[in-house]
Amino acid sequence: MALIWVFPLLYTFLSSFKSEADIQSSAFTILPINWVIGNYQDVLFENTSAPVAKWFINSLIISVSQTILVLVIVSLAGYGYSRMKFKGRDAIFFFLMATMMFPAVVNLIPLYKIIDTLGWVNNYLAAIVPGSAAVFNIFLVRQFMQGIPIDFDESARVDGASDFQIFTRLILPLLRPVLTVVALFTFTASWNDFLWPSIVFNDIEKMPITPGLQLLQGMYALDVAHALTGALIAIVPTFILYLCTQKYFMDSLSLSSGVKG
Amino acid sequence: MINIEEAKELPMSAELEMNHNKKRLNLSPYLYIGPHLILFSIFFLVPTFYGIYISFTNWDLIGDPEFVGFANYTEILFNKESTFYEQLRVGLGNTFKFVLFTVPACIIVPLLLAAGLNTKPKGLKFFQALFYMPTLFSVSAVMIVFSMLFSVSFGPINHYVNVDTNWLATQPYAWVALVTVTVWWTMGANMIIYQAALNGISKDLYEAASIDGANSIQKFFRITLPSIRAQILYTLVITTIAQFNVYGQPLMLTKGGPTSSTSVLLMYIQENAFGSGISIAGIGSAMAVVLGLCIMVVSAIQFFFLRQRD
Repeated sequence: MALIWVFPLLYTFLSSFKSEADIQSSAFTILPINWVIGNYQDVLFENTSAPVAKWFINSLIISVSQTILVLVIVSLAGYGYSRMKFKGRDAIFFFLMATMMFPAVVNLIPLYKIIDTLGWVNNYLAAIVPGSAAVFNIFLVRQFMQGIPIDFDESARVDGASDFQIFTRLILPLLRPVLTVVALFTFTASWNDFLWPSIVFNDIEKMPITPGLQLLQGMYALDVAHALTGALIAIVPTFILYLCTQKYFMDSLSLSSGVKG
Repeated sequence: MINIEEAKELPMSAELEMNHNKKRLNLSPYLYIGPHLILFSIFFLVPTFYGIYISFTNWDLIGDPEFVGFANYTEILFNKESTFYEQLRVGLGNTFKFVLFTVPACIIVPLLLAAGLNTKPKGLKFFQALFYMPTLFSVSAVMIVFSMLFSVSFGPINHYVNVDTNWLATQPYAWVALVTVTVWWTMGANMIIYQAALNGISKDLYEAASIDGANSIQKFFRITLPSIRAQILYTLVITTIAQFNVYGQPLMLTKGGPTSSTSVLLMYIQENAFGSGISIAGIGSAMAVVLGLCIMVVSAIQFFFLRQRD
């Protein structure tokens, strides 16, 4: 089984160093006949109708910005729903939870119209902002925050700390584990988003890499080495992120499925 | 970003309130939940309700929507002459097929892998990492890789199996390819969830069963499965919802073919609303509402059916 799982990745990696001529002219070999690195040069910089290097940078800007935006919004909202007392708090939160049952497909077309009205078509904001409306992360952070004893807040309050001081000095540092999880998930989801950015970006120069690969596939339909090189470049960031933060990914899944939470 | 600015002013106002007038309406909670609520309203709530409204209109995405009552729904559901009726029939049918083919595989394969890994083999962490990894890649990158793997003349699959099957353009091979790639790509998350659940089952249960003479298959069905039922229900609902939204795999791997046999509904919705011709957003919205209703109904059925066996 492990062999089946690793093969596509290994194949992609090795094929990106093959020369297209070798692939076309001889029977399949797993190792390149001649090792070449020209595919990377070609795919990243040479093709003006599929500017992969540019897409890559667009994706980085979008994913990093969305992650930061989500972290700010989610920690504020998580604090609001778990620590502050106000009328209708639980009703609003319950309503938010209930909307998670709504299938997102229904809002696709009007969402495009809203983005268009805001003048955000072909703008990074179109890919950054709407995703921050998601509810699930708030649920995660609120759950986690309720595990932090309220006594902490009370003693800080006795010492004269304001809500905002309690939030920034006391709660935020304690939230690090759950915020790491939110950050990792947001970044990966944003990097990998396909349908939405393919609707709001039609300018080749502006689009992120995930919808870009669809164009690249059309361009290199008969060019195995270049197509696979493009795919490989696109998976590098999440791959590296994963290698560095594996433990958090595993924890996060248990957290979100309620095994631990 | 403005939100930070707003929040910074908060300590002062909060203190003022505390000192001077405790009974005054405290606005500060809304500075915390406000930013999200505003974004949530603009980018989720409004478009969702607007999407439902649009499904009752004639709209080209540019001008004003013209209210037409149930016309779009009668068109796609009952007008047998209409191409949109045909699109809905084919698209929804293929979407259901896709769900039916992939969901069981996306539950059973990771469950078996998790059970295997639960025996704590050497290199457990490595295998876990490997099986989970594909979930981190985008659908477009994965589809490029698999379209090459399945390629007729240059693909390693045909080379090693020593056939010249045209996987992506003949049935039933196109479905086999779609299911294979979907399992490879998406099952990792479920596996991790099952692993955590299996880890939590008490060893005593298995020992007691061994003393009573149960074999490993009996143990699996009598102890393992009942113990992780909550996780199976959760993954079943989540996986089903995810697979109903299938779009990228058939779009990039089989191009919906051969002859529309793998064209899914989301492809038609996208095409009608954002395709090359004049936008038919009303019809697209009606199709989206139908798909959304299917998702909700199926989730509800799964939930109640599995709940009631308690």
